[in-house]
Amino acid sequence: MQAFYIRYRNTQGTLMRILNAVSRRALDMPSVRAEEAEGDHQVILLLEVTPKQAAQLEREWFSIVDVLQVSTVHAGLPAAWTLPHPPASVAGNTEEGLAARA
Amino acid sequence: MLKGAEIVLQCLRAEGVDLVFGYPGGAIMPLYDALEGSGVRHILTRHEQGAVFAAEGYARVTGKPGVAIATSGPGATNLVTGIADAKMDSVPLVCITGQVRSALIGSDAFQETDVFGMTLSLTKWSRLVRTIDEIPEAIAEGFYWARSGRPGPVVIDIPTDMLKAKKEFSEPVKFVPQPRIEQAAKNSANGHSGNSHSANGNGNGAGRGGTFDAVVTMLQKAQRPVALVGAGAKLSGAVTELRRLLDDLNIPSFATVHGLGAIPPQASHYLGMVGMHGTRAANMALHETDLLLVLGARLDDRVTGDPSRFAPFAKIVHFEIDPAQLDRVRACEIPVLGDLAETIPAFHTALGQSPTSRKDGEKCDWSEWRALACGAERAELDPRGLAQPTIRFLDELFSRLPQDSVVIADVGQHQMWAAQRYRSSSPRGFITSGGLGAMGFALPAAVGVQLAKPQTCVLCVSGDGGFQMNIQELATVHRLGLPVKMVIVDNKYLGMVRQWQQLFYQRNYAETDLSDNPDFVEIAKAYKIPARRLNEDAMREFPVSQGTGDLIDGFLHSRGPELLVFDCAPEANVFPMVPAGASLSEMVFEEE
Repeated sequence: MQAFYIRYRNTQGTLMRILNAVSRRALDMPSVRAEEAEGDHQVILLLEVTPKQAAQLEREWFSIVDVLQVSTVHAGLPAAWTLPHPPASVAGNTEEGLAARA
Repeated sequence: MLKGAEIVLQCLRAEGVDLVFGYPGGAIMPLYDALEGSGVRHILTRHEQGAVFAAEGYARVTGKPGVAIATSGPGATNLVTGIADAKMDSVPLVCITGQVRSALIGSDAFQETDVFGMTLSLTKWSRLVRTIDEIPEAIAEGFYWARSGRPGPVVIDIPTDMLKAKKEFSEPVKFVPQPRIEQAAKNSANGHSGNSHSANGNGNGAGRGGTFDAVVTMLQKAQRPVALVGAGAKLSGAVTELRRLLDDLNIPSFATVHGLGAIPPQASHYLGMVGMHGTRAANMALHETDLLLVLGARLDDRVTGDPSRFAPFAKIVHFEIDPAQLDRVRACEIPVLGDLAETIPAFHTALGQSPTSRKDGEKCDWSEWRALACGAERAELDPRGLAQPTIRFLDELFSRLPQDSVVIADVGQHQMWAAQRYRSSSPRGFITSGGLGAMGFALPAAVGVQLAKPQTCVLCVSGDGGFQMNIQELATVHRLGLPVKMVIVDNKYLGMVRQWQQLFYQRNYAETDLSDNPDFVEIAKAYKIPARRLNEDAMREFPVSQGTGDLIDGFLHSRGPELLVFDCAPEANVFPMVPAGASLSEMVFEEE
């Protein structure tokens, strides 16, 4: 389980676009908390994701107009999206490979 | 005092819009009522999907946002395919929809749909206008986002009572993004920045200074570097810089279907189109490379084949404007985030300043690949010969086109044949629905292209399946007298699906038979559009007979619209082909 913090301007549709990025991958959202934060808004998502999914999500969130910041709970550790994925060595028919290619 | 509808039109004019495509209906009627004298010309299509594809055609050929207008409910839902298409292919598109009056929103009123909600995942930005005061800002902001960064579609949904309401109005506003958004965009353009993307974060300068030095070093060490070019170079207006860079690099280059025209086909380093139906040379070079420069391409699955076996020996340097596209399919060693209009010249400068810059391709033995590319003639494309007449027909058509013509291809086999045979160096000369693959795109898109380029020869190439998806736009072509040249490659099948059924479903041609197609010549004539037919037998002799050549010339150079139906072999296939899930190195060249 990984926590993601997304700070955004609370304009029409921005939160829904953030959540759409999750739902289009058919990921469960066990915890979603959206609230005002220092003049902007913040949503905290708890998700079970692969490193590749985490990376894709972070980049996709940051591409959304009015998203200001995307970060993970693991401060100080490399962000998931800096890790290589899918690894070139991953075989397509393994569980890991399927996850990487999801 | 102006009505909301009049304000919308004034704001459109302020954004430089003088042409819109649409279809009227209940909730949007106030806008139509205000059209006359507004300075905005409205093109009535015969279906909202025709309107949105026409707006896309206009946008794709000009680079300016296309505008589509529809009413609420079914009018709005009919726009959705075009919106998705614009999202996939990075097309600046502004859709304005009427909505039921404010008091009825949420009541399941007549012709009410939540177009704002249903297009959230397809649009870059959208707004459901709540007050008449919001209209100028909504229009300005919508155009800003449609144009900026990676272009894309926006939706502005306006309740009909907002269009009827009146307010004091002096002049349109200019949207100025808040500084922190600009800052965020800059940080985004700087790429990897630690463990957070932040409006206040510290980019590490990927794409700048030291990073380019690293790319130059990688380039110098590489034995088999290649360059893959996508639509980004065209969208950013960086084609000239791109060509200079590639000429100096002198490494094998190839293009995605949307990158066609960015590299002159006659360039000695150009190996053709890459991907599922790309040339053998391009695909093999991409498979064998040890350093891949990706320039404005998002590496979708039609380009990569099996992503886990895509460019398996390569390090990747990815020049890209949209951070969401990085590492999406395959990790890159160096991301260069930013507008290619800035990053390519900056990289070129860094390359030129390198003491041992690579300019002669001395380490890169790609003569074999080039020979393969040059040999990628008809025999490679179709060993059995069934597609030979169609390929030759397209060659004849394209070779007789005036310079700077625009070819619009629909979706299917004819699209891939056209992409394989397209030989123009006009950057916006080949237009197609690449990412979404929306059949029915070509004819309405050609309407938009022809209106944007009235003096240009516009050739619309469709299949018999796709043409029937928006065949009603023949009425638009006729009413406007647009000299669009329309070709139907008629194999009486949904050809590409049939090809897959043949190759991968044991020839079970389930529901792809269109042998009872209507007579397209007679249909065109019913729309008062001249039409003629050409049988593939005319293409079996080479060179083609004088009579056939004259027929094609007459078709291309006639003054008004014209339809040419080309009857081709029902079981002709597109080759080479990378089967789904296979590696680019596993192309097949004929059915086994």
